[in-house]
Amino acid sequence: MTTTQRIELTVNGRRRSEEVAVHHTLLEVLRDDLGLTGTKACCLVGECGACTVLVDGDSVDACLVLAVEADGSSVTTVEGLAGDDGLDPLQAAFLATGAAQCGFCIPGQLVAARALLALHPHPTRSEIEEGLAGNYCRCAGYEQIIEAVQLASTTSATSGSEP
Amino acid sequence: MRAFAYERPTALADALGLLAGRGDDVRLLAGGTDLIIGLRDRSIQPALVVDVKRIAELDGDIGELDGGGLRIGARTTMTAIAADPRIRADHQALAEAAAVVGSVQIRNRATLAGNICNASPAADTAPALLVDGATVVVAGPDGARRVPIDGFFVRSRVTTLRPGELVTAIELPPAPQPRGSAHVRRTRRRGHDLASVTLTAAALPDGVTRLAYGSLGPRPVVVEDRTGVLADPAAPNRAKMERLEALFVGASPSARSMRASPEYRLAMLHVLGLRAVRAAVERRAARTAR
Amino acid sequence: MTEQGVGASPERVGGLARVTGGQAYVADLRHEDALQVKLVTVDCARARIIAIDPTAALAVPGVRLVISAADLPDPMPRFGPQFVDRPILAVGETKYHGEPVAAVAADTLDAAEEAARLVRVDYEELPAVFTVAGALAADAPLVQDPSLRPGDPRSLSNVLREHRYGWGNVEAAVADVVVEHAYRFPMVTQFAIEPHGFIAAPDGDGIAVWSSIQHPNWLQKVLARLLGLPLAKVRIFAPDPGGAFGGKQHAKYEPLVAFMALRAHRPVRLILTLEETFQAVRRGAAEIRVRDGYRRDGTLVFRDVDADYLIGAYADIADRTVAKGSYTSAGPYRVPAARIVARSVLSHTVPSTAFRGFGNPQQIWAVESNMNEAARLLGIDPVAIRMRNLAQPGETFIPGDTPADGAWAETIERAAAMIDWSTPPPTGRGRGIAVGLKSGPTTGLSYSTVRLLADGSVVVYAGTSDMGQGARTIFAQIAAQELGAPLDWVTVIMGDTAVVPYDQQTSASRSSVLMGDSILLACRDIQARLRAMAARLESVDEATVVVDRGVVRIGDRSLPIRDVLVRGLGLLGGEIIGLGEMRKEAEPDHPLGGTAAFFEFNCTAVEVEVDRDTGDVTVARHVTVSDVGKALNPMQVRGQDEGAAVMGLGHTLMEHYIYDETGRIRNLGAIDYRIPTSMDLPLTMDSDIVENEDGPGPYGAKGMSEGALLCVAPAVAGAVQDATGVAIRDLPLSPERVWRALRDAESAVRPDPVEGAR
Repeated sequence: MTTTQRIELTVNGRRRSEEVAVHHTLLEVLRDDLGLTGTKACCLVGECGACTVLVDGDSVDACLVLAVEADGSSVTTVEGLAGDDGLDPLQAAFLATGAAQCGFCIPGQLVAARALLALHPHPTRSEIEEGLAGNYCRCAGYEQIIEAVQLASTTSATSGSEP
Repeated sequence: MRAFAYERPTALADALGLLAGRGDDVRLLAGGTDLIIGLRDRSIQPALVVDVKRIAELDGDIGELDGGGLRIGARTTMTAIAADPRIRADHQALAEAAAVVGSVQIRNRATLAGNICNASPAADTAPALLVDGATVVVAGPDGARRVPIDGFFVRSRVTTLRPGELVTAIELPPAPQPRGSAHVRRTRRRGHDLASVTLTAAALPDGVTRLAYGSLGPRPVVVEDRTGVLADPAAPNRAKMERLEALFVGASPSARSMRASPEYRLAMLHVLGLRAVRAAVERRAARTAR
Repeated sequence: MTEQGVGASPERVGGLARVTGGQAYVADLRHEDALQVKLVTVDCARARIIAIDPTAALAVPGVRLVISAADLPDPMPRFGPQFVDRPILAVGETKYHGEPVAAVAADTLDAAEEAARLVRVDYEELPAVFTVAGALAADAPLVQDPSLRPGDPRSLSNVLREHRYGWGNVEAAVADVVVEHAYRFPMVTQFAIEPHGFIAAPDGDGIAVWSSIQHPNWLQKVLARLLGLPLAKVRIFAPDPGGAFGGKQHAKYEPLVAFMALRAHRPVRLILTLEETFQAVRRGAAEIRVRDGYRRDGTLVFRDVDADYLIGAYADIADRTVAKGSYTSAGPYRVPAARIVARSVLSHTVPSTAFRGFGNPQQIWAVESNMNEAARLLGIDPVAIRMRNLAQPGETFIPGDTPADGAWAETIERAAAMIDWSTPPPTGRGRGIAVGLKSGPTTGLSYSTVRLLADGSVVVYAGTSDMGQGARTIFAQIAAQELGAPLDWVTVIMGDTAVVPYDQQTSASRSSVLMGDSILLACRDIQARLRAMAARLESVDEATVVVDRGVVRIGDRSLPIRDVLVRGLGLLGGEIIGLGEMRKEAEPDHPLGGTAAFFEFNCTAVEVEVDRDTGDVTVARHVTVSDVGKALNPMQVRGQDEGAAVMGLGHTLMEHYIYDETGRIRNLGAIDYRIPTSMDLPLTMDSDIVENEDGPGPYGAKGMSEGALLCVAPAVAGAVQDATGVAIRDLPLSPERVWRALRDAESAVRPDPVEGAR
């Protein structure tokens, strides 16, 4: 017996009103109900970070959040990182350093990096390692991912601003 | 996961009403970082999930108590605890423990109250709370009550919370100064991991050292050294190790765990004990010097 | 052009979609009306299936289909790349923890999951084998039905095959010192971040299947045979995999979803959970005994290797990993006498399959560790002992195979210099070094089509799968360079067997070489047509026209290709189509069916710090140097090398399956199977390459995506031994294992006074 509930979300700046199953996670609702498939599913136990999104500015694993919990929240996914004037500096930096290999973990890495730069606009290497440890990369492009975050932190005048 | 009903009360009384008489059929949702894993693997299958995050009386604030000490609201996340300057100054081990619970994403959601209610023997914050002598503030059908943290844990997933009760806050008593504390743990990698040993040591005034450890038995355990040996920087390691062996005599790691053997856990308990004591004593000395 | 062409590092082709969330992996595809599939399994290693009752499952609203062996053709259709042994669903007996006995298709995943739990399976648990010793025991239950291997004398044992290679006379070889040890390599899993996904849909009078598969053409053949369809009626879409690492080479559940789609007359989709991927793919474990004979000066006089690879319940491509991996066990060395015996041992475990390194990391762990032991014993520097025995360029080192195709000494010297090998490590640290050699593809067939469109833009059709290695970028760079188009005027089409010509497979680090050469040939085909066109336009002899890297030269005149093209195509427009065909023929008399197209060669050197109290190993410095012939895209080369290095650190330091005493996997999923995170990196990682343009690929390139993983474990273990004096011959070098080894060594060397009094 599926119970549903209507929730109001602001997703990537756009207001959404959705009737969702209360036992569905935010990840399922983003991907299956809203069609925002940029956010990826992998471990579903909060270990790998492939499903990282921002909820009211905080990075969370969307697999461990019920969609109903996010009712009234503002959600940012990878699809919401680029602005009208083009790619976010992080996205450009990931391309420039070759950080995206197979690419499957990259949406989560980018969103986690966005949250990291909001907290530490000029992070040290160990702050980056710590800040992105919740995002597995099996191509293990960690060195190039770290370089990308460092690059974005120097090229971005706006890094640190909330999306 | 299996379907369930969901309620999101805004008043404590409503939440208590939802809990009344339902036993395991109802589960509380705070940070969800343990609950949703259990729902997914169907190790728990409640009919009702009660989200406590919008209950007015359950805040996510860290406030100062009249007469000293801190009150940590039930919705307070690990991220908030690890970042709080008062906790970082006076409850270093708790700040350190909160900072190693999962990844950033997990810490942004996981709450201290949820961590202790889950009552995992490996819970990182439990030893720190035991050493600090925290009090769990509980609301229930018969009103509020206060449970010393050492009387809260029973075994994995079991606490002394009674049916229909929920945790509203955790209180830390004022930390008598000078004191220093440190939290250390053993994991299989440097990145986030569940601990095979988790341990806090606190160097208290008058040469008293308090230690608490988890993951070496059904529940975390607190012990105290009043001989002054552990607190004495000049005491030989051998003497300290003997003290630790006496203090840790009750450790009984499970042979079922796949994270580490009982033998390794026991050995590491002592290694970590020594290291944490050293760090705590140094921190106390640094406090004294100020 | 230079920043985009071969040898430059332009942004990844397909990169933009990867950083914006637009890249559509299999699970991101939407099909109207698709049914969701959930697998039904039993919770034990091996069981006799007594009965399967779908009644309760079918009663769940939204459930459309429950399928088990009884619903499939009899005899059960089987498939497999080497042995046709794997059933579509378990029939009669399950053979490993996680093998599906049935599958449910429903309108929603919720309904499918609920119903899958309600399929009633009556079963009887049977004795199982899940270790080498258990599988080889005289009374071991047979994993494979002997009727699947008629006439094979080994069919009454769990040895699927035994491979023997060798030369010279090991028995007669005279050595001053013999170094003999046994090494173990655990089961590990690919753990691609994208769990495997499979979608099938009826497609007119045929079928369409979407899979994150490395070998779409091979899958097409498998499905055509199973379904009794012509190849032209089986269309495979292979969206770029989100990581594959070998685990997505061969068919897994595509046959199941294909049968279900045809039965349901609707699209069906099965996206595995991560836990299910652990029960679908892994690397073979191994127990390897190495006996090396040396002269006192460090000259290797013989090598004797005896290996048992623990493969799974179905062969998949595992036996080939054993054959090919063990084949190079003598390493890149001049070994006068070698004897290599390797067995593929079936067990009631997850079918092992290809995994980056393809059977080599196991034996390299053993033989390179043994060489480090020899160096210690002989008092010879680990670099020196390798240099002494290393095959020189052009020297045959495996009789009958490709001679040494690289200046390998240069690679070792580079790595040694980068880690300051000639100066002692800081106090408390140890250093280790090892090399890895892997035979590249032994056969190959890659077709490509390149279309030079009327405006000078280019479309490349290549059946390679871009699973992160960056094949799409490399191919675009080659075409851009050869046809004078800007990189963003090149489109590379992959992953659709109805559109893209045949490619044998994406494996063995072959694609830059074999498909790269094929595309190069297709571009040369276009260049030839351009030459003819230019000769006609300019009324000159064709022999006087040269097309070179995007320019048409006639005498001392140079014309951009596009000018010739526009004029040559004339009013009707059109295009020039080039065809490429790159073959590496099979050699039936060769033990592997063909010589190596090239060798991957890597040298890894590390510096570690060991916490003697806890057993923690910190890799302070990690140096990895690969001989790549020519880096077509240095940024991607670096990503592959450093990524392979970190993956190697995973199995070296933390990864392994944990089985319970009945053969069930205990650490299914991400919580208790640990892989490296960004906090687990070496304190410093330095990669470098050797480029002598001596490979068979375009511009002298060699394949390179596996090399940096091959010898991480022996390098790290060698460094641990250098730091502590203690040899560890089991992986992973987990803190507990290292602590235990140190403690055992201490109690052996300096007995505790109390215990010593006994």
